[in-house]
Amino acid sequence: MVVLLVGMCPGLDENLLRSLRAADIRTVEDLVSSDIEDLAQKCSVSYKALFAIRRVLLAQNTAFPVSGADLYEELLSSTAILSTGNPSLDKLLDSGLYTGEITELTGGPGSGKSQVCFGVAVHIAYQLKQSVIYIDTTGGLTANRLLQMLQTETNNTDEQMEALQRIHTFRLFDVGALLDCLYGLGGGGLHKVCVGGGSVKALIVDSVSAVIAPLLGGKQNEGMSLMIQVAAALKTMAKDFSVAVLVTNHVTRSSSGEVQPGLGVSWSHVPRTRILLERVESGASGRRSATLIKSSRQACLIKEDFDLQWWSRAEGERGGETSGKRKLDETDT
Amino acid sequence: MNAVRMRRPVSSLSLGSSLKGKLVRAGFQFVTDMQDLNPEHLSAEAGVSQQEALEALQAASSGHTVAPVTALELLQKEEEFRNIVTFCSPLDEALGGGVPVGKVTEICGAPGVGKTQLCLQLAVDVQVPAVFGGLGGQVLFVDTEGGFQVQRLVDLAGAAVHHCSLLAEDEEQRVAMTTFTVETILSNVFLVRCRDYVELLAELHLLLDFLSDRPRLRLLVIDSVAFPFLHIHDDLSQRTRLLQGLSLRLIAAATDHNIAVVTTNHMTTRLRSSHVQLAPALGDLWGHAPSIRLLLRWEESRRLASIIKSPGHMDATVQYQITCQGFRDADQSERPQSKRPRTQTDQSASSRENTRT
Repeated sequence: MVVLLVGMCPGLDENLLRSLRAADIRTVEDLVSSDIEDLAQKCSVSYKALFAIRRVLLAQNTAFPVSGADLYEELLSSTAILSTGNPSLDKLLDSGLYTGEITELTGGPGSGKSQVCFGVAVHIAYQLKQSVIYIDTTGGLTANRLLQMLQTETNNTDEQMEALQRIHTFRLFDVGALLDCLYGLGGGGLHKVCVGGGSVKALIVDSVSAVIAPLLGGKQNEGMSLMIQVAAALKTMAKDFSVAVLVTNHVTRSSSGEVQPGLGVSWSHVPRTRILLERVESGASGRRSATLIKSSRQACLIKEDFDLQWWSRAEGERGGETSGKRKLDETDT
Repeated sequence: MNAVRMRRPVSSLSLGSSLKGKLVRAGFQFVTDMQDLNPEHLSAEAGVSQQEALEALQAASSGHTVAPVTALELLQKEEEFRNIVTFCSPLDEALGGGVPVGKVTEICGAPGVGKTQLCLQLAVDVQVPAVFGGLGGQVLFVDTEGGFQVQRLVDLAGAAVHHCSLLAEDEEQRVAMTTFTVETILSNVFLVRCRDYVELLAELHLLLDFLSDRPRLRLLVIDSVAFPFLHIHDDLSQRTRLLQGLSLRLIAAATDHNIAVVTTNHMTTRLRSSHVQLAPALGDLWGHAPSIRLLLRWEESRRLASIIKSPGHMDATVQYQITCQGFRDADQSERPQSKRPRTQTDQSASSRENTRT
């Protein structure tokens, strides 16, 4: 329902608007679906003028069909695939994070979601030299850890600082602030962020469930609506600005005791791809297993084991196996 | 870059739901539709009161977001505040200097393993003057279990003062020692006793005012956060929601006011495919709240501390000891009389009930 306002199209001025109101025509739908001849008589306006206004309004508010071929061409030229920096994860994601889509990482506490987000942010900022927007709602963002990861990529402090400057962080702790932030970025903030160099190619929200989960359930009725608002904002940003959106989510247990991603069925339609991270019981402390639980490109439930320390492995071990960041002797975990 | 601007729907504004409903029904779908109207006009169009129209217009135009902080600036800010030492050097090393400021740290462990002792130690350590490498800050100690003992705090304070006075070398440090005495340490600890979760939540509501009055506050201890919530059995989903709201508030306080928040948690049993395991209480959803989790446990006669969750450090296990002077390294031979010796671990079912999310 779009309200008729002055200046919406040439010819729609105050007087005409007032007479239309008097005839109980308030929205574009009302105008378009009413009889023009009749209306022209009632409002004592020329038929031609009203017809012209109707045509302009129809043109402004209609959705035009796009051919599949054009859509394909557009996708080919605007979609980019961003590698996460970890080959096992890339394999699961069909070579990386796709721009224009939302990818979700889900897992229990300590499963490594934030670490993966750090690794992705550092990889995109340093290797791909693009800007990253990191929205942190958990308080877990530690710039020192980002620096540690960068220090294993390069020894040059200037390059490290440059990469750090490409990661733009927001720390928000409620859903209103999150929506303000997303719409602020969408309404022009993104351009301001790009000034430093490199366009924004990735938006990471860690975690989206921390701000939404407290609003769901019980006697609260706003929670679902706000969750869908956040989903709409993220999807629009991903599509319109060609960014890859990576979000993290918690897990809950279903009635049969199985682990499933949080935020319920309504949220499950939002991300295009979902990965579940779990700790590997045996093995070194950095090992995690990632399972693909939703994907439109690959068979589901393929599992990959990977090492959380991949993003901070030392120079000499590139292409090799795990490296201990710090070895402390004591009993084995 | 295309010049697309995202239009913000009215239903995403933080206004009352009935007001939003009226606005949408009157045809104002996007914020841009109503931005240019004045309050009288809007209240006439949408059938809302002048007051509500004003509120709506304010919400529509106040989309001024916080400016982003680059990771470099964040790094510089992090280096401003030191960590709070625990006086157990392997643990401090594993944590990268100690308990970090600006994050929520959780200490879990079975009863009697030393969680309150570590909290008391941190309450003393945060007050170590800056010239000795400390923060010189105050501490708010929220006690929900009644485990706070002033006498023990006096012992720990005395030991810390003694330790620092031995280290004092130059004039500056000696001057600092005059303000670092057992009396001043005790006067910088603010104790609050909460008997149930309602009092705890109320106390944390008032926390922000408390923090703004006391800029020197650097540590908030909640011992324990589990105890008041373990008694809620009838409505587990309400418990989860309360905990999530609590965790957001703690994280916001830690980040915005640069304080270290330390909470203690109990252990509960988990049945994992027919074998029993000890896990921190309050469920998985609470597990996402702290950024760092320390697990204290016994193994034969040794006390071990493990880092089981941390964004910046690897999982590690160290040995520690609790002497009459407080939390210390395991190797110190200075009166290594353990506070409570045990000869046998009891890692199976604890006395706590099962909690599930």
